[in-house]
Amino acid sequence: MSERLTNEATVDAALSALKASGATGEVFLREAQSGSVEIKEGAVEAVIARGERGIGIRVLDEQRLGFAYTSDLSNEGIRACVDISRRMSALTERDEDLALATRHIDDADLDIYQAGIVDRPLSERGAIALAVEEAARETDPRVKQFRKTTYSDSESTTIIATTTGVRASFRESYCGVMTSAVASENGDRQIGYHGEAARRFGELDPARVGRRAAQRAVEKLGAKPLATQKVPVVLDPWMAMDLLRAIGPLFSADNVLKGRSLFANKVGQRVANERVTIVDDARRPRGLRSAPFDGEGVATETRTLIDKGVLRGYLTSLKTARKLGAEPTGNARRSGYGSPARIGPSNLFVAAGTDDATAIIGGLDRALAVTSLLNLHTIDPVSGEFSLGATGNYLERGNRVHPAQGITIAGNLTHLLSSVVAVGTDLVFGPSGLGSPTLLISELSVGGA
Amino acid sequence: MDDERIEDAISGVDQGAGIRVTSGERTTYANGNVADVDDLMALAGRAARSVAEGGELHEADEPEPDELPRRSTVAIDPRSVAVERKVELLRRADEVARGLDPRIHQVTASYGESVQEVLIANSDGLFRTDTRVRLNLAVHAIAKQGDVLESGFEAIRGTAGFEMLTDQAVEQAATDAARRAVLNVGAEPAPAGTYTVVLSSEAGGTLIHESVGHGLEADLNLKGLSVYAGRIGQKVASELITVIDDGTDPDKRGTAAMDDEGTATHRTVLIEKGILRTYLSDRKHAEKLGIARSGNARRESFRYLPICRMTNTLIAPGKSDPAEILRSVKEGVFVKKMGGGQVDVVSGNFAFEITECYRIRDGKLAEPLRGATLVGQGPKLMSEIDMVGTDLGYSTGTCGKDGQGAPVADAQPTIRIPSVVVGGKLK
Repeated sequence: MSERLTNEATVDAALSALKASGATGEVFLREAQSGSVEIKEGAVEAVIARGERGIGIRVLDEQRLGFAYTSDLSNEGIRACVDISRRMSALTERDEDLALATRHIDDADLDIYQAGIVDRPLSERGAIALAVEEAARETDPRVKQFRKTTYSDSESTTIIATTTGVRASFRESYCGVMTSAVASENGDRQIGYHGEAARRFGELDPARVGRRAAQRAVEKLGAKPLATQKVPVVLDPWMAMDLLRAIGPLFSADNVLKGRSLFANKVGQRVANERVTIVDDARRPRGLRSAPFDGEGVATETRTLIDKGVLRGYLTSLKTARKLGAEPTGNARRSGYGSPARIGPSNLFVAAGTDDATAIIGGLDRALAVTSLLNLHTIDPVSGEFSLGATGNYLERGNRVHPAQGITIAGNLTHLLSSVVAVGTDLVFGPSGLGSPTLLISELSVGGA
Repeated sequence: MDDERIEDAISGVDQGAGIRVTSGERTTYANGNVADVDDLMALAGRAARSVAEGGELHEADEPEPDELPRRSTVAIDPRSVAVERKVELLRRADEVARGLDPRIHQVTASYGESVQEVLIANSDGLFRTDTRVRLNLAVHAIAKQGDVLESGFEAIRGTAGFEMLTDQAVEQAATDAARRAVLNVGAEPAPAGTYTVVLSSEAGGTLIHESVGHGLEADLNLKGLSVYAGRIGQKVASELITVIDDGTDPDKRGTAAMDDEGTATHRTVLIEKGILRTYLSDRKHAEKLGIARSGNARRESFRYLPICRMTNTLIAPGKSDPAEILRSVKEGVFVKKMGGGQVDVVSGNFAFEITECYRIRDGKLAEPLRGATLVGQGPKLMSEIDMVGTDLGYSTGTCGKDGQGAPVADAQPTIRIPSVVVGGKLK
């Protein structure tokens, strides 16, 4: 078998190759083992085991940046990757603000790694998925099928090293389970999705996942159209997270600098209702997007982005921080060795408020409580406009009148933030690191019959 | 190219393999980056070990290599084109977009090429290869008017050679992106409600992809989950509607010689004059449902199991004059360009984004509208379409299913929908 270098030795080899070529730059290595188990009709249907290991090399040559990546970690492969990265740097334009990390990264124990999560026996991993389906069936007899129930897990190592002397690594683990339960009644069929994830195997609660997916499917049975109208809208934590994800790009310093963010020139100004506080916390213990450093080797932070409705700052990379005359915030994130760093949030959440979620709903003459949203990926963060397919429960004085489908909700993300008139105490974090309590939006346009 | 600068230049290689073992109802798939035969053998061992014990081992059939016809012509391999030429195209796109209107405030243009070398071998002796050369030139323009920002997007994408990217094609894409951004920044918000809608052939094929295509994937139908399950031979759409998936269509974004199980791609008539004929299948589901293999088992890369999905999907042209379709509507909405969409295949409810649309007043195009979306239920909408044009227009996209992306193209003629919900805002 060919010589297989350890991760650290691979990074050493790449750093040496970088230095030998006379270039300054950075090596990023990711090794991951991951797996998934899919079940069908009470038995395991598919098992996937996945391994990946590769490096991404960024060269900064005369203030020009090149990027290349490879999964060929032989000495020749590494050298070729350095060469290509140098060649790529010759194509890009000079930018005086480009920089490599130089600061020491502090040791932080974020509790994001549980050893051996991917080595658990198939019986244990499959059992999680089976328990989800069982809980869903027990929740309501109308739940008879599942579109898909999948348990997945991963364990990965990330190393970053620069020719400027920064070197750090961390390990992380992840496990998650999701299902789409299908409920049927009188020829009507509806699907309910729910998924949760954790850093530790023992923290997954399959019964809760199954129950919630079942409720989501059953509550849509018998859905009817709704008349076109303006109506107060209740977003439960999961629906609120879906919209919060779309707000993330507005905080990007890159978007701000290039005139693509509605938050440009708004620091210190009110951009949301005073009830709204939004935090990006990369240091949240056991957080699903927690990490000690970002994809450029900059230490991460916990930051309040919107404080009681007032914009406090942006998410930055090394380059954009320099351009803004600010400190880098450690938000240049990389999804893998083949992806360049892009500014994005870590664990982005709306802080818990003071309103009881049930009381929020009970206090309204009429409202639409959203139960699913279609086409979230088409929200344009530049304009902030959204116009989405939706299902929901139409409520009067806190009681459900009927479920609704075939409707749309529309608005603008900035208007949405200003229109949050109640914030629940029920903060929950979802499988992608986002978090939110229940939010009440004073009014949105609903399109329908 | 972003903010008038060449900001990123990226190049990479990802090489790997996946070994799939099926035993009874269970599939095991081990995959990873592979550098040599030893790595591959280790993967095979890993896959075999995880299958239930006690299985009988037997020698695989000798491989029987055969060549499938290549569906796309690649006259100019993009790897042979000087990178300066690619940069020049981006600069041209940026210049054209910025020059269109003083309200153009930002432009991002990107060029991407990928060459995917695929080899599929199985224990039945199948041994086939395919090379998929794909190009993507995209322009994203932003217009600003007062405090309002709006985007416009256009892309040229295909499984094709560099000859696809002529100066003229790139200039047209840049013009369309910028024109759309400017149009939207000056447009009124679309008023929510139910309208008669004309979808132009120029709008692309998101409608057919979302409202019908996903519902015809064989895996969903075997589970009985799709609204189209068990309905082969039945009427599921207006007799004006014929739906075809064609993985052989030269140079289109979803085209290949074979699917990712090694089955040759096909031109498959899914719905013929309103009657459901078959589903989009892979080997396993074709066998279980007793239908012909359609060559629709696709995967994003060696990291994934193949799943049933679309290639290039279209509604076949009909008999109506497109201009007549527009003239026939007294009050309504004309959709000139669709964006992304999504469907819940269980209920059939779908939504798609509209990136360019206008009011129709007295059979003529009137003021532009922005921020619209269109929602409906697949089979219901397909049975209500009452005019189908003689024209045909394509669009391209990346379809998402079960966490995997796949390059696709969609097409449709100009069509009329008598009554459908258009999402938007109320004053």
